[in-house]
Amino acid sequence: MALARHCLEYARQQGAEAVRITLTKSLMNLVGLLNGEVDKTSHALDRSLQLQLFANGRFGSFSSNKLDKEGLESFIREAIDTVKMLEADSFRSLPAPGRLAKDAVTGRELDLYDPAYETLTAEKRREMALGSSYYNSALRQEELSSRSEATQGARGIRPPVSETNVFSLPRIISEEGEYSDSVFDSLTLDSQGLEARHTETSFEIGYETTVEDAQGRHFSSYWWDATPRLEDLQLSDCASKAYGRAVAQQNPQSVPSGQYTLILDTECASKVVTPVLNALGGYSLQQKNSFLTDSLGKKLFPEGLTILDVPRTPGDTGCRLFDSEGVATREMPIIENGVVKTYFLNTYISRKMEMEPTIEDATRVKVLPLGECRTLEQVLEKVGNGILVTGFNGGNSNPATGNFSYGIEGFYIQDGKRVHPVREMLITGNFLTLWSNLLLVADDARPCLSKLVPTLAFTKVDFSG
Amino acid sequence: MIGEKNFYLNIFQVDVPALDRLIGEALATGGGYADLYFENTTYGSLLLRDGAVTSGGNHIDFGVGVRVLSGEKTGYAYSESTAWEDMLASARAAAQIACSSAEVSPYGTRNPSRGEPNPQADRYPILQPWRGTPMSTFLPFLQKLEADVRSRDPRIVKVMVNLAFQVSDILMYNSQKELKWDTRPMGSISLSAVFKQGNVTENKSTSRSFRCGAEMLSESLAKEMADDIVKGIDDRFAAKRPKGGQMPVVMGAGASGILLHEAMGHAFEADFNRKGTSIFADKMGRQICPKGVQIIDDGTLRGNRGSLNFDDEGIPGQKTYMVEDGVLASYLHDRISAAHYGVKPTGNGRRESFRYAPLPRMRSTYMESGSAKAEDLIAEVPQGIFVDEFANGQVQIGEGDFTFYVKSGYLIENGRLTQPVKDINIIGNGPQALADIRGVADDLSVDPGAWTCGKEQSVPVSCGIPTVLIEKLTVGGE
Repeated sequence: MALARHCLEYARQQGAEAVRITLTKSLMNLVGLLNGEVDKTSHALDRSLQLQLFANGRFGSFSSNKLDKEGLESFIREAIDTVKMLEADSFRSLPAPGRLAKDAVTGRELDLYDPAYETLTAEKRREMALGSSYYNSALRQEELSSRSEATQGARGIRPPVSETNVFSLPRIISEEGEYSDSVFDSLTLDSQGLEARHTETSFEIGYETTVEDAQGRHFSSYWWDATPRLEDLQLSDCASKAYGRAVAQQNPQSVPSGQYTLILDTECASKVVTPVLNALGGYSLQQKNSFLTDSLGKKLFPEGLTILDVPRTPGDTGCRLFDSEGVATREMPIIENGVVKTYFLNTYISRKMEMEPTIEDATRVKVLPLGECRTLEQVLEKVGNGILVTGFNGGNSNPATGNFSYGIEGFYIQDGKRVHPVREMLITGNFLTLWSNLLLVADDARPCLSKLVPTLAFTKVDFSG
Repeated sequence: MIGEKNFYLNIFQVDVPALDRLIGEALATGGGYADLYFENTTYGSLLLRDGAVTSGGNHIDFGVGVRVLSGEKTGYAYSESTAWEDMLASARAAAQIACSSAEVSPYGTRNPSRGEPNPQADRYPILQPWRGTPMSTFLPFLQKLEADVRSRDPRIVKVMVNLAFQVSDILMYNSQKELKWDTRPMGSISLSAVFKQGNVTENKSTSRSFRCGAEMLSESLAKEMADDIVKGIDDRFAAKRPKGGQMPVVMGAGASGILLHEAMGHAFEADFNRKGTSIFADKMGRQICPKGVQIIDDGTLRGNRGSLNFDDEGIPGQKTYMVEDGVLASYLHDRISAAHYGVKPTGNGRRESFRYAPLPRMRSTYMESGSAKAEDLIAEVPQGIFVDEFANGQVQIGEGDFTFYVKSGYLIENGRLTQPVKDINIIGNGPQALADIRGVADDLSVDPGAWTCGKEQSVPVSCGIPTVLIEKLTVGGE
């Protein structure tokens, strides 16, 4: 705090008219596993000072991780010299003081800091990581079964399954896992009195598993979980879920090109929400590079579709009391019953667009349910036939037109059941057309994801294969 | 550009005896190998938007990474300070990997790269340093480029030019007492424009990125980029989505090298093969492409975005033939995988910064020219697609399925380019696509754009290819 205040004052003394400073510090520990053994450990401590300077009607953004006082003073002097040689920009200013967050004092108001973090040791981290491996439990089961080495094949092990199906399941070729935890602390100050702090812990587990079938074909998948509270982390079943998802990829079959109902599971549903949010971003709109230009107040999405920003839910992943300008976040509709209710406009862009500022970006997006289905299985049953997409493989979209094309993997669905996996297929279309064909929104969003997007279903989507 | 040894030791305020003591601490718990990676990077940026250069900045990133190997296991930690106590804490944290002693295998003597690498090479001499040159010197380039672009087409409503440059001083030391140092420059310019025709909006973008100094900001470069940004815009407005499905694809020379990067480059990175996950894990020495095809990963191209005097493990930059005459000849190795396979490292150990342990990564990946003519390859296709501008790609290592996103191209009908197409994804399977190569033209071009590879960490790369005909890929469409 003292260093940040000193830098702020020093920048003012050197000729800056206004200053914003953000100090961040993060500490991360990671234990990586390969096939049930510790393969890597990592320890990372990061500190950074970000400096935004307004001088002579000009603006510049700077950062350094060399935080000694003398070095920073020299850095600030050079930064001000750099700002002064830029062209003037009358739209740049700090936010109006009345918009700034005043309730982010300790950094812990949102209950995103878990004191359990302080009790972790290197040994405990290893123990948690090793205990989460499915490969290890599979190996133990295999040893118990006392089967001869000859039956186990050249490499890989089989999973812990019953005697009856042990030879019908594929071998685990590789199981890579990572456990990590971190604490992040940021403090933002500005020259008009802002002092806003945010502190959070994060605990994560992730696995990627590759299996090999009897024909030597490889299939891989992943699973992960993340939470601000250690006790909520789903350590025990992450690896087995990754294995199960990889096994489910076996024996893919092609599906003829054509129009199908698209079901997006919760792991990938945000793929069709993020471009909408980007298109409502101030920079895209101001640069005329948005398919939602001039959309404010218009009903461009289907009746019943409501997307909210809920940034202030205590204990909820990704929530923040303020944005990068220090502006207080608030709960607000982004799309309400199909009508576009807000753009994301920071102070600078709002002045350029001659509109009221809102917030720099959505913080914690929540898509509300639509229809009577609450879970993926209910959606599949309701839809009957279609293609369930469980992952994307590349692709992109055109921000100006909203056209998109993505590689997909998933399952062909008949009568609400998964018939076989599909891969090497593509979906192609336009976001506005896609959303106009929205059929269902379930209520099963994963809380660990940055956006709360449940299972979604759309009709008449072009699939190529 | 490489300076004198003491220049680097002074930047990081260390000497060789101190480095030895630090290595000793890193190995104190039984590790078999340790290395130190010091980095001092300065970044600069200028952004022209709405007709004026109103945004810019400088950024400093400084620190040291400590890696300890115990067998093939890695312990890693870093410090943003080179004060002795801070470095010591990092060395001790990294040393935790070695709970029990595990030997690190020495790497082999067989050299998978072509020729002996030259450890004295300077592949990116700097004529006008970025550091020390006032940023105001660079403004006229941005302003002139913007004016030039705007003068070319009245449909342009927005132009954005971003100049980003960085210079990294690197010092590396390891438990084999190898001390290496380097200064790596990088200058990148990205240009984008929004066009409006009636009620229809379209965007185009182009970029250039080289390891060189500020001399890159030349009039000829500005003209070349202005030409690029307006080239094909009429076709972009006229473009349609094709009918999707499997069809022959002609990949235009240059940026189509993304095919090599995604379809095989990642699968040839030896860490994926060491773990058995790559679809090419058991194909060394086997025919994977038609005879005559040579595919290379090269760190020696002068001024190229992917080039390195030394990789991030201190191995000299070199040129590695991954495929020779259609046969899989070499994976891309860092020290760990080279020891695993009993070969010399190929200089592919790379990292985003001192915050990361190195991994096998590509540099500049390209295919050598063949003997066909591009127009003859197109003429062979009765019904298919030609593609020449791309945005991004991806691959699933285990299955080998890769995709890349096409910003522009054309239908091929009866051997001729006809309807323009845009915004489609193409998907294929790596081994199948390589086996399906039906012709290679004589027009190799390495793309000069700002390609960045994002495998766990972001590193600068480049890619290139001559015009190539692939018998069958799946094309997205309506």
